[in-house]
Amino acid sequence: MASLKRPAPTDGNGPTLSSKVYIRATRLGKVQKIVREVYLRKDIPCSSKLCTKCLANAPRDSFGKAVSFVLSATPSATKCYPNGHYTVPDTNAFINAMDVFEAGTAFFDVIVLQTVLEEVRNHSIPLYHRLVSLSKNEDKRFYVFFNDFRQDTHVVRDHGETINDRNDRAVRSATKWYANHLADVVMARSRCPSIVMISDDNDNLRKAKVEGVDAQSLADYVSELEDSERLLDMISQAKTPQSLRGQHLYPDYYSQSKIQTGLNNGTLHQGTFSVSPYNYLEGTVFVSAFDRPLLILGRENGNRAVAGDFVAIELLPKAEWKAPSTKLLEEDNVNKNDNPEADDNEAIVTEHERRLLQEEAKKVHGKSKEGNPQPTARVVGIIKRNWRQYVGHIDKDSVKSSAKYSRSQQTVFLIPMDKRIPKIRVRTRMAKDLTGKRIVVAMDAWEQDSRFPIGHFIKSLGELEAKGAETEALLMEFDVQYRPFPKAVLDCLPSEGHDWVVPADPQDPGWRGRRDLRDLLVCSIDPPGCVDIDDALHAKKLPNGNFEIGVHIADVSNFVKPNNAMDAEAAARGTTVYLVDKRIDMLPMLLGTDLCSLKPYVERFAFSVIWEVTPNAAIVRADFTKSVIRSREAFSYEAAQKRIDDKSQKDELTDGMRTLLVLSKKLKQKRMNAGALNLASPEVRVETESETSDPVDVKTKQLLDTNSLVEEFMLLANISVATRVHQSFPQTALLRRHAAPPKTNFEELANQLKVKMGMDLKVDSSKALADSLDTCVDPQKPFINTLVRIMATRCMMSAEYFSAGTQAEPEFRHYGLASEIYTHFTSPIRRYADLMVHRQLAAAIDYELPDSSIHSRNKLEAICKNINVRHRNAQMAGRASVEYYVGQALKGRVIDEEGYVMRVFSNGCVVFVPRFGIEGLIRVRDMAEPEPESTFDNEDYSLTLSGSRKAKIELFQQVKVRISDEAEESTGKRKVRMDLL
Amino acid sequence: MAPSGTQQILLSPPELHFLSSSLSQTPPIRPDLRSATQFRPLVAETNVLPSTNGSARVCFSDGTEAVAGVKLELERSPPSRSISSTGTDTRNEEVRSTNEFRTTLVQGSDAWLEVSIEIPGFRDDESLPMFLAAMLSEALLANGNVQDKLWINDRWHWKLYIDILSLSPPLSYPLPLLSLTTHMALLSTALPRLKSDPKDDPLFDDDWAAAVPLFPRAASGVYAVRPPITLLVITIGDNIIFDPTKEELAVANGVVAVSVAPQLTTVAAPAETSLELVAIRFVDPPSRLTPAGILNSRNPATAAGVAASTSTTQQTPSVHGRSGAGQGQNAVWSPPCGGLNRKLLAKIMVAILQTDGVAFQILEALAAVEIR
Repeated sequence: MASLKRPAPTDGNGPTLSSKVYIRATRLGKVQKIVREVYLRKDIPCSSKLCTKCLANAPRDSFGKAVSFVLSATPSATKCYPNGHYTVPDTNAFINAMDVFEAGTAFFDVIVLQTVLEEVRNHSIPLYHRLVSLSKNEDKRFYVFFNDFRQDTHVVRDHGETINDRNDRAVRSATKWYANHLADVVMARSRCPSIVMISDDNDNLRKAKVEGVDAQSLADYVSELEDSERLLDMISQAKTPQSLRGQHLYPDYYSQSKIQTGLNNGTLHQGTFSVSPYNYLEGTVFVSAFDRPLLILGRENGNRAVAGDFVAIELLPKAEWKAPSTKLLEEDNVNKNDNPEADDNEAIVTEHERRLLQEEAKKVHGKSKEGNPQPTARVVGIIKRNWRQYVGHIDKDSVKSSAKYSRSQQTVFLIPMDKRIPKIRVRTRMAKDLTGKRIVVAMDAWEQDSRFPIGHFIKSLGELEAKGAETEALLMEFDVQYRPFPKAVLDCLPSEGHDWVVPADPQDPGWRGRRDLRDLLVCSIDPPGCVDIDDALHAKKLPNGNFEIGVHIADVSNFVKPNNAMDAEAAARGTTVYLVDKRIDMLPMLLGTDLCSLKPYVERFAFSVIWEVTPNAAIVRADFTKSVIRSREAFSYEAAQKRIDDKSQKDELTDGMRTLLVLSKKLKQKRMNAGALNLASPEVRVETESETSDPVDVKTKQLLDTNSLVEEFMLLANISVATRVHQSFPQTALLRRHAAPPKTNFEELANQLKVKMGMDLKVDSSKALADSLDTCVDPQKPFINTLVRIMATRCMMSAEYFSAGTQAEPEFRHYGLASEIYTHFTSPIRRYADLMVHRQLAAAIDYELPDSSIHSRNKLEAICKNINVRHRNAQMAGRASVEYYVGQALKGRVIDEEGYVMRVFSNGCVVFVPRFGIEGLIRVRDMAEPEPESTFDNEDYSLTLSGSRKAKIELFQQVKVRISDEAEESTGKRKVRMDLL
Repeated sequence: MAPSGTQQILLSPPELHFLSSSLSQTPPIRPDLRSATQFRPLVAETNVLPSTNGSARVCFSDGTEAVAGVKLELERSPPSRSISSTGTDTRNEEVRSTNEFRTTLVQGSDAWLEVSIEIPGFRDDESLPMFLAAMLSEALLANGNVQDKLWINDRWHWKLYIDILSLSPPLSYPLPLLSLTTHMALLSTALPRLKSDPKDDPLFDDDWAAAVPLFPRAASGVYAVRPPITLLVITIGDNIIFDPTKEELAVANGVVAVSVAPQLTTVAAPAETSLELVAIRFVDPPSRLTPAGILNSRNPATAAGVAASTSTTQQTPSVHGRSGAGQGQNAVWSPPCGGLNRKLLAKIMVAILQTDGVAFQILEALAAVEIR
């Protein structure tokens, strides 16, 4: 009787059908057996330009064209392979040294096997994406060879063979096949390149030797290349797990199943690990189950988690809970004398650190009521590492002076720019060359027996303090994409370029659905020197006594269509980043500063919101339409204010501006009544010399009436558009919300205000908060009010973009603006969110059919996640740039300024200087020589000094500080230094 | 349980009489000259369905075939099970009191097994498929071997789905075919290997080659535990006959389905496999639906009968006969009625359960089938 099982069909050389069986666990918990059949082919080309046989057999598309071959006919030669060679790297080579493969000077003509590609994907998705983009790079000539699909190189697992052994065998067999194949094809015609397998697995290398396959270890291969030192440095330092040396170990992580079980039944929690900027030993994890973030104190409890990692934590028993630290602790200072070479007797927690922590614990137990212990936890597993490339500089102290001129490898410490990342051990041969430069490293691993993580060098950015290097460092730290736009993106721009104009003929398809508003007296008001004008306004008196107000926004969605290369690039960038002297654009300049920008005196496409309002600023009607406008004038804030105030100007445009001003004031009053918050951020303007853009002076920004004018109407436009878009797309409208801050965030501030100023801070609602902020005034110290507002801002949650379907309607609220619903609409040139909202609004008013990308919930959620991150990073990059420039402005100068104490620690305080908008730490030990005695009163928020200097430093106290800059001895880095006068 | 829907028996009364009288001889004379305990050869192969956890196909020599596939799915146990996890004693008493062989510490639930049968020509809610499924699952669950293997920990267990597909219309009662197919499929079933701590939520090894068989074999090739098989036995006259063909079933007085499971007392002494009787079910013999027959000479409907009835004295034809032999003179064949003789039942038990008896031989034959 015939069997039901199909026999594998064969043709002369072997079976043409094979199958792969494995088990897949789905997210819902089901465990499935998956059987995949593999159809084995004989026509997958070897892709070498030398091979004519494969060219004849290669599969062709419907036009009869075959995919062009990648591997060069004349590959580079090395000492061992004088006839040229192609390389076949093993999986561990890619995992350990992806940076070396990406380096521009080495590794061309590489064969990436399908087996290796899939193993890399299972190991790490980011590495896989990098490998795929390498293979798409034409200059690098990486060819992905599907060896598992090709009949000659298909390897079936033997009974009892492990999967790894089978994969190694597949790599060796593919290498051998390539060698034989090329030898056949090339014959004596030209030089036959050798095929070299590169692997770090000793077993694999040994077997390769036995089988007669050319193979080398990665280190051996790289050391024969040009520039080998730099390349060898770039190999990852993560070693295969050996027996752990040293007695002091970090605790083991829990197994994956234990963590999963714990998370499912609630005994373990997960969240993102953040580090306090003031105390590097204190970490926090925000878990939704607790209203306050959980504390993680000490290196041992931190258990090798790095800021940004997604960790699993376990709550400690209540007896071990501690209060958050009141000390300033910086790793630089505490661990100055560490030995970079890993020691067997190295302690995870040094004696010094242990003492510091114990002092904290004693203080907690000593107190009766204040300093309440908060829930404390420890890290038991890392769910996902979030390591990126870190910018930093080498610690000069860690470089052995004896190795001055030698090229031997030594281990040095890299101090990252971000204070929350621990020092990284890096092995390098170029230590002397790299000292004093900004370098980029990647973190590889943090072993259980090592006090610090290890990493490898990637590249050098230039001298410390050099403007180019600093700017690049800043941009890298905040993951800002600053490379120029690639050709694919520039190809999406209109072909007329700068000569593009609004079509003259109203019958032209460009005019479809647009209203002709060229007769309206539109003007724009922007910061001085602004070239990307997003918005313009107009006001007109209507015969019935009401006013017609219009806000016209640049019509970017007309030029940036969904799903092309320019759209993808803009979505990835998310926003334009403004540094003091540089602007990293989200869209190419042609659009941002010319075609989309609402420049004066020319016709431009716009998206208009037109309201009819009563003289009391009550909205009667709102209209949304695409339009064509011609802006009459582009004002700066000052120029506009001047024009409005100048009584001699009586033309219609000025009248319109005056109307706008009056109405904006009324709108603002309404908002304040509803509870909008007026929070001050320390905005500082850096004046630079025009030629060199060296900073000359730093001034705080002044707020004029016209600033507020534009702001009010932009807010009104955003709210109206939000309502309209939500009405048409209740599940997928892209909106912006600001969650109300939990009361616990304000506890500390409210207590401080009560104790020090006798002021009551009510936080029940935004109106209550706004009102009580208004009452927090000290007539002698007018700045206190601003300081309190700044501190209140820091207690707030951040606003975020979200898609309407992901939150319930009450959650749409924007706490800070006291609005039920809000979105960003008015700056599509510099924000991707606004561009999406433009597309949604255009679909809502039936101007065009909605594209699938503005409907799809998954895509929108991904977009929201990205733009939230980019928005935050852009803000932080901007602030860091200002800080840098302020530092540069202070170079060589010593300035005495007023400051206010913002925070008091047991060993120092933080002073805020309003003129420059900077905060500085002042340590007790720097206040006098020798260090004065200090008593810290946590409840009174004061620090009393005695001994060599007598003083009492209280919170909110106005002090005078001397600001100077000094170079740190160890690194040559300049820092801003404040001294109490 | 009337085997409704089985194909109608198209044998005439004389044929039925002939069969019944030859089978009632001592020793019984079977149409194909087999002995009473001799089985027809069958073909069995395993792992015919690649996407299942285990599968088998069995073909009998009368042309009937069946394919069975076993799939296992992970399921959460309701929390109440762990309430009674205080001690092994209480739990052993909890569900099963009959089985002194169940010395395992953990107990599975009967709800963890689901058997579904598909027979061509029958809807799944008809009586034949439903009763067959019930009988098969009763046999599998009876001594607890199968469900105890499905327990993972207090919160998780495997749910076993057995799908049996009969590939040919049932010529005779399909129970033994389906049972043997299920047995083979279960022997070839493999579970993904657990790689997490047993107390944690389960995580399994991706590699199918590392999968653990549900019924493991020791290194010597001996099975510690095996699933049961069900055999069909007929009684006719004073004889019992195994592996009845369609014709033999047509004239049987009684049909018994006996389920036995092999029980290894100790692994050390593999020859000591004892058989445990797990279930007995009585099937309505199809012979009850056979047409009764009387001699033409006695039949008033025929000419000869009319003549006979007027000439001879009236003799009430005995319609009811206890066994095939000893029919009334007037009846050629009458469907049997009445129950099973207790003596015959005892005879069946002895024949099946004795060491080296029928069941033992079948089990050894099945165990010899290669499982790939």
